Amino acid sequence: MSTARRLASSNAALGIIGTLAAVALWEICARTGVIDPALFPSPSLAIREAAGRLTMDTVADNLMWSLMRVFSGFALGAIAGAAIGIAAGWYRGFGTIVRPIIELLRPIPPLAWIPLAIIWFGLGEPSKFFIIFLGAFFPVVTAAYQGMRSIDPVLLRAAQTMGLSGLPLLLRVAVPAAAPDLATGVRIGWGLSFGVLVAAELVAADRGLGYMIINERNTGGSVGVIIVGILLIGALNLLTDAALGLAIKRWIGRWHGA
Amino acid sequence: MRRALANAVAPAAAILVLLVAWELGVRYGFLKPYQFPPVSRIARGFVELSTIGFPTGVSIWSHTLITVARVLQGYVAALALAIPLGLVIGAVPVLDKLTAPLVVFCRSVATLSLLPLVIVWFGAGELTKVFLIGYGCFWVMLSNVIAGVRYVDPMLLRAASTFSVKGLELFTRVILPAALPRIFAGARMALGVGFMVIVGAEMIGTIEGLGALIMEARTFYRSEITIIGMLIIGLIGFAITSGLGLLERYLLPWAANLDQVRR
Repeated sequence: MSTARRLASSNAALGIIGTLAAVALWEICARTGVIDPALFPSPSLAIREAAGRLTMDTVADNLMWSLMRVFSGFALGAIAGAAIGIAAGWYRGFGTIVRPIIELLRPIPPLAWIPLAIIWFGLGEPSKFFIIFLGAFFPVVTAAYQGMRSIDPVLLRAAQTMGLSGLPLLLRVAVPAAAPDLATGVRIGWGLSFGVLVAAELVAADRGLGYMIINERNTGGSVGVIIVGILLIGALNLLTDAALGLAIKRWIGRWHGA
Repeated sequence: MRRALANAVAPAAAILVLLVAWELGVRYGFLKPYQFPPVSRIARGFVELSTIGFPTGVSIWSHTLITVARVLQGYVAALALAIPLGLVIGAVPVLDKLTAPLVVFCRSVATLSLLPLVIVWFGAGELTKVFLIGYGCFWVMLSNVIAGVRYVDPMLLRAASTFSVKGLELFTRVILPAALPRIFAGARMALGVGFMVIVGAEMIGTIEGLGALIMEARTFYRSEITIIGMLIIGLIGFAITSGLGLLERYLLPWAANLDQVRR
């Protein structure tokens, strides 16, 4: 255990050293003019510019909008995807009808739905919600279906021998057995939802982090703000993904060992 | 045989019923034709797109070619950089530990969020789109190449060392073949990412390409053209995934076995 921990901490230390070195290199290149600071300012300059042009409130407000959009769209997309995927895997008849429609639409990337979403729902929040919803829906529905189809039949037969059938069999045996596949889909869905969110905010929005950076460039603002915004979006994606990964691990750990 | 026939007929029937209900719904005024252009209108739109073009003069085929060419440029450049770099980082553990957080972070940066920055650098032209595709493909590819090389089954390595295979021979004869399925999976994922990025990137600052086509069609209230564009994008996406899947099975017949072992 202690060796493992020491190993992990040395890995973390090396990672920190590498990251610091990269940031230092960036700072030096921008300071000495190897890269033009007007196009790619040093991290310190970018932060100073951002601090000068944005108040904490503006950033927090945009951040909250982005988070709210992605959470609501993702949650509903994942729930709908899981429900339909599980039902399609469990009830044969439902599966044969629903699956071809899903398979037909699945190869269309969520971003390609933006114009149609605007036609259907207008330029407001519902169209963004719809696209983020799709970003989560398709990976989750596919993963849920695949998870249901690849359940070990012995598991189901054993449960049936013990008298389980119908809905209890589905909820207490089949769904937990399909959970790892489902979790993978949820993770992919989160990444997609997040990427789609940023794109949707770039193309058509008046709030949110994506809007914040494209607005900065459209109004001829500073590159520093754009860079800080990009890094913020990246960090947000990384943190939420890690949190989701942890939550999934705890949830699935109940059935499949941690 | 009978069963296979039933399996093919039921889905087709489901889709057919849906399309007919759609067409009738529009005809009897339950659905607005602008919001839900019926199949007949989509078919007419397709004829127009492939002969006259939209905007006039740019046919659906040249839109498609432009999009595919953009994706390929960024994709090939990203692979050419990521594969050698990933092999080196994967083969040297210290290098991997030093760069791991950076690679994870850069991969987490939403590719399209770079759009405003890249426009400042290169303007809103071709280079911007190719760069964005390249960025998205590069990090996906790089992390998969590194993972492929680093996480070779230790059993294989121990077996190789029993036969006293080491150094360059170990790398080329054991590690590389074992890593290839993962590298190939990375290449497949990267192409998917590139394809996703292009649709978003084309929505800004151009009138050529499939992403621009579907967006332009919307501003001119030509929803049927938007839908045609979406279907073609989907078709290309489908062709890419299934084509690369076939290629993988042909080029790397041992990959399927490795997958089974991992499970």
